[in-house]
Amino acid sequence: MKNKLQELKKEVLSQIENIKNNELLHEIENKYLGRQGELGVILKNIKDLGDEARREAGQIANEVRTEIVSKIEAAKKALNKDQSVENLVDVTLPGASMKRGHLSPLTVVQKEMEDIMTSMGFIVLDGPELESDYYNFEAMNIPPHHPARDMQDTFYIDKKNKDGEYDMVLRTHTSSVQVRAMQKHGAPLYGIAPGRTYRCEATDVRHEHTFYQMEGLVVDKDINFGHLKYILELIGKKLYGPETKLRMRPKFYPFVEPGSNMEYTCFLCEGKGCRVCKHTGWLEIGGCGMIHPEVLKAGGIDPEVYSGFAFGFGLTRLAMLKYKIDDVRLFNSGDLRFIEQF
Amino acid sequence: MLLSLNWLKEYVNIPKSLSAEELAEKMTLHTVEVEGIEKEGEKFKGIVVGEILEVKKHGNATHLQIAEVNIGKTKLTIVCGAPNIAPGQLVPVATVGTIMPGGMEIKEAEIRGEKSFGMLCAEDELGLGTDHSGIMILEKAKIGQSLAEYLKLDDIILEVDNKSLSNRPDLFSHYGIAREISAFLDVKLNELKLKKIKADHGDKHAKLEKLDVKIEDKNLCPRYMAVKINGVKIADSPAWLQKKLISVGAKPINNIVDITNYVMLSIGQPLHAFNADVADKIIVRPAKNEELIDCLDNKERKLNNSNLVIANGEKAMAIAGMIGGKFSSVTAETENIIIEAATFNAYSVRKSSGALTLRTDASVRFEKALDVNLAEDGLMLAIELILEICPEAKIASEITDIKQDAPEIKEITFDLNWLEKLSGNKIEKKKATEILSKLGFIINADPESDNILNIIIPSWRATKDIKIKEDLAEEIMRIIGYDDFPIQVPFIKMAPAETNRDRMIERKIKDILSKENALSEVYNYSFVGEDDLKKINMDFSTYIKLANPISKQHTLMRQNLSLGLINNIKTNQYKYDDLALFEVGTIFLNVPGEFKKHNSSEETLPHQEKMVSIALAGNNDQLFSQGKSIVTNFLMSLTDLSVDVAFLPTDLIIGYADATEKAVINVNGKNIGTIAKIDANIGKSFGLKKDAVIIEMDFKDLLLLSFLENNKKYNDIPKFPPMVRDLAFVIDQKILYNDIRNEIKNFHELIKSVDLFDVYVGKNLGEDKKNLAFHIIYQSNDRTLTTEEIDEIQKNLIENLEKRFEAQIRNF
Repeated sequence: MKNKLQELKKEVLSQIENIKNNELLHEIENKYLGRQGELGVILKNIKDLGDEARREAGQIANEVRTEIVSKIEAAKKALNKDQSVENLVDVTLPGASMKRGHLSPLTVVQKEMEDIMTSMGFIVLDGPELESDYYNFEAMNIPPHHPARDMQDTFYIDKKNKDGEYDMVLRTHTSSVQVRAMQKHGAPLYGIAPGRTYRCEATDVRHEHTFYQMEGLVVDKDINFGHLKYILELIGKKLYGPETKLRMRPKFYPFVEPGSNMEYTCFLCEGKGCRVCKHTGWLEIGGCGMIHPEVLKAGGIDPEVYSGFAFGFGLTRLAMLKYKIDDVRLFNSGDLRFIEQF
Repeated sequence: MLLSLNWLKEYVNIPKSLSAEELAEKMTLHTVEVEGIEKEGEKFKGIVVGEILEVKKHGNATHLQIAEVNIGKTKLTIVCGAPNIAPGQLVPVATVGTIMPGGMEIKEAEIRGEKSFGMLCAEDELGLGTDHSGIMILEKAKIGQSLAEYLKLDDIILEVDNKSLSNRPDLFSHYGIAREISAFLDVKLNELKLKKIKADHGDKHAKLEKLDVKIEDKNLCPRYMAVKINGVKIADSPAWLQKKLISVGAKPINNIVDITNYVMLSIGQPLHAFNADVADKIIVRPAKNEELIDCLDNKERKLNNSNLVIANGEKAMAIAGMIGGKFSSVTAETENIIIEAATFNAYSVRKSSGALTLRTDASVRFEKALDVNLAEDGLMLAIELILEICPEAKIASEITDIKQDAPEIKEITFDLNWLEKLSGNKIEKKKATEILSKLGFIINADPESDNILNIIIPSWRATKDIKIKEDLAEEIMRIIGYDDFPIQVPFIKMAPAETNRDRMIERKIKDILSKENALSEVYNYSFVGEDDLKKINMDFSTYIKLANPISKQHTLMRQNLSLGLINNIKTNQYKYDDLALFEVGTIFLNVPGEFKKHNSSEETLPHQEKMVSIALAGNNDQLFSQGKSIVTNFLMSLTDLSVDVAFLPTDLIIGYADATEKAVINVNGKNIGTIAKIDANIGKSFGLKKDAVIIEMDFKDLLLLSFLENNKKYNDIPKFPPMVRDLAFVIDQKILYNDIRNEIKNFHELIKSVDLFDVYVGKNLGEDKKNLAFHIIYQSNDRTLTTEEIDEIQKNLIENLEKRFEAQIRNF
């Protein structure tokens, strides 16, 4: 048995040495290694041997097989080196395609904002999208028929309360979360509330009835206007780079006093003035101010002990600025040609 | 609102060195955003006054002439078609490069062989009138002077959005804005010098009428002043008045109406002029139900008792604070008028204006809560102007003045130490006092204290705007400038932020679906419409309705995400072979939810929760199967490989589902959602050209499942080898894989897992039969299994399957 195997090995190796083409090599491979090949036939007889001899023969058979295989592979390589054109590998070909999924740019921007804020110790607050008139307006110091309601065209839910009035709305701002959060968590409170908001207005390139905002609020002892500026400037720098400057100008919001707008140096033109910033050099991002004492009171917090600030801005607007998206309707369009870019 | 800079300059000394842009920026930073600046002078850039030196005939055209024109710096040759030109005339000349008001650019031209370097302009070409009969001939003009200068168009118009003034009734006038400018520029505000007119001019024997005025509810009309003036001659207003009104976008009508508008734009008090012959009585009362009034805008309006009207003995003459009626208005024939200067309740005007969807310059002001003192100022200014502009007019009545008791004077104790605490910066007493004084506040310093100011709010700020110390803080801080306050790093008690588990898991879900399962995220509207719901057989009677929907497709609040996704498939189906989408969004159910409407109320808002839905579309018969793979993989990732996912048949009504390919997703024994193929006909009704599968999962169930990852524990790698037996059998198609698998899995404790590796259906198996093939893996934790014991279990298992499911075992 042992001899037979050694002979076979010699025979094969000598044949391989003189081989000239792939077809012959393939023939040899089949003749010796194939299912009905000569090596196989020899191995079939192994089982008739005694235990000791069987183990020895098995070992040799394996060694012989391994050697033959490796010589054949080497011969193949040697042969094919000369036939380079036929077997050229175009390494520049793309890999097999793999499917990818994409997140909405709103998700991406919201995540970025949440990460900035939670890294500073802010908690993420929740509130309902279908909100009571009370939390959306009254608790925010906007009584019924207050002219400030003009600033926000509101979707009302078609269900009247016992006084015959609509008392439920689709929240017009994430500020509606403020009083709920104060009632739930009390002071001190450091929180943000990102989420979907609604305004009853016709859609076009720049207007959308469904959009995203993020509210931020801080309630603690000895909180002042300078602290508000600190947080806002920090957000601006995180979003638009270390050179970003903050500008604030008075703006009326019933739920803050003093009330302000927040603007950052336009990151597109670096403050020189361009189409996007309407040639002012400043991008209006949102509103802010010191929380109105009536709002703190509604939240069960004593304004003589605590003070706080709040700010809010459009995540939709941030995403539009970040990616230079010029049609707000794309966000809710479900158009993959848009989504696949993110 | 438009503001004329020249008009503002009548009231406040704006330094010449300050450009309009600088003023606008300061106004933006201290008071209100200026949204636009329009320079009147720039309208006629390039158009100058020229003197015609010579007029020659054009050799090649009978209707054309060639003019030699001196424009000061140079002389121009201009071909002109107008017949009225002659040497010595002064005319407007548009030089080369001028853009005409109509948009045309003036270029060097050759007209019928003669060169022309500009254009002589007619009135209509300049937008100054309708006359096109000839070139405009100018009087008393200087050669070379710009046309704008000649027309004295040197004004600059600033634009402010009304919405950003909603808290400031006092800023709806030039004087109000001038007062702000005086504060932030720290310059002098000129006093309004109003004559205190006495109707009888001091003549006690003068016979004056007493107007018959009745106010039914003084709460709705806190002040009503009126005066009758006879012998008015209705005519066009003088040029200065017309020019002023035009500059801020108000259309001149006649002298009386123009004066009322001028008063409103100057100091903010809306006035109304009635024909005195109609207004024999003045009754301020709620309208009768269904009372009709034919208004000045040529619209008839039907009123009800929530609208306040000014009526004579018979009917409504005006809707209070909003618009006048036609029959009582001042027309060309009117000689005797009554001027009304009143204060109407802001809330009532606002409600009335909202109900009638009518907003006028007057209602915009009244609804902000006007100062009752302004009515008197307004009336005095109006009388003065009428007597000046209509010299023949005479005051014919006493000045009626019906008012509520004077409002209490409000005083606020203001602590500068508190201001320092709030603003983060020390503000000197002197500075605070100066700012507040400029704005009209009266300050009584507390002599005993360096930091306490007793502040009286001026009446024009006291109606609503300024009430508390925080309001005063804003006044001081904004006039100083928010940008001047230093940034301060807050001291916070360091503590890790509490994690919002809902949000964290929502993020994780989105990451898994997009990154691992290659689905793309969509955001759809929260609204659905009846037509679409009908198509998917939904009963929309339980859907929450919007009171004021924007469109017919968006009238109801969604109760699941499927419709949005179906429409997404339609949007994208022609551009992509296969679609794989997901949405995480809120749904709104018409049952009581967890959030209260008010913290002291038991009533709650409707239930709202998140859902996670997936849509797959394509033209392949493996969609349903692919959907199941996605669900299984997703749930494994979400729970860190801690769940057992099964798909079970269901009788659940899924409106859009195909009759056969639908299942509930069962995780560790609990149903958490559904997977279903869209019925072909329903797909067609939406215009779908592809097969589609919709998967819907409840977010709160996924949230609960996500906690399983916390229980994750390592299991020892088995020390003893497994034994694998394959088993294939033919059974009735009706018997479910899941039942068979469970039967095998639970058959013996040594069976560690059961893997399906083949399903075959074919005619050769017989009607309604299928072949299932499993790898059954046996393994023990404490010993090596023997062939004999596995053979025994396998034999019993086969017998059991034959008995339970009439399975026919196949040999390999």
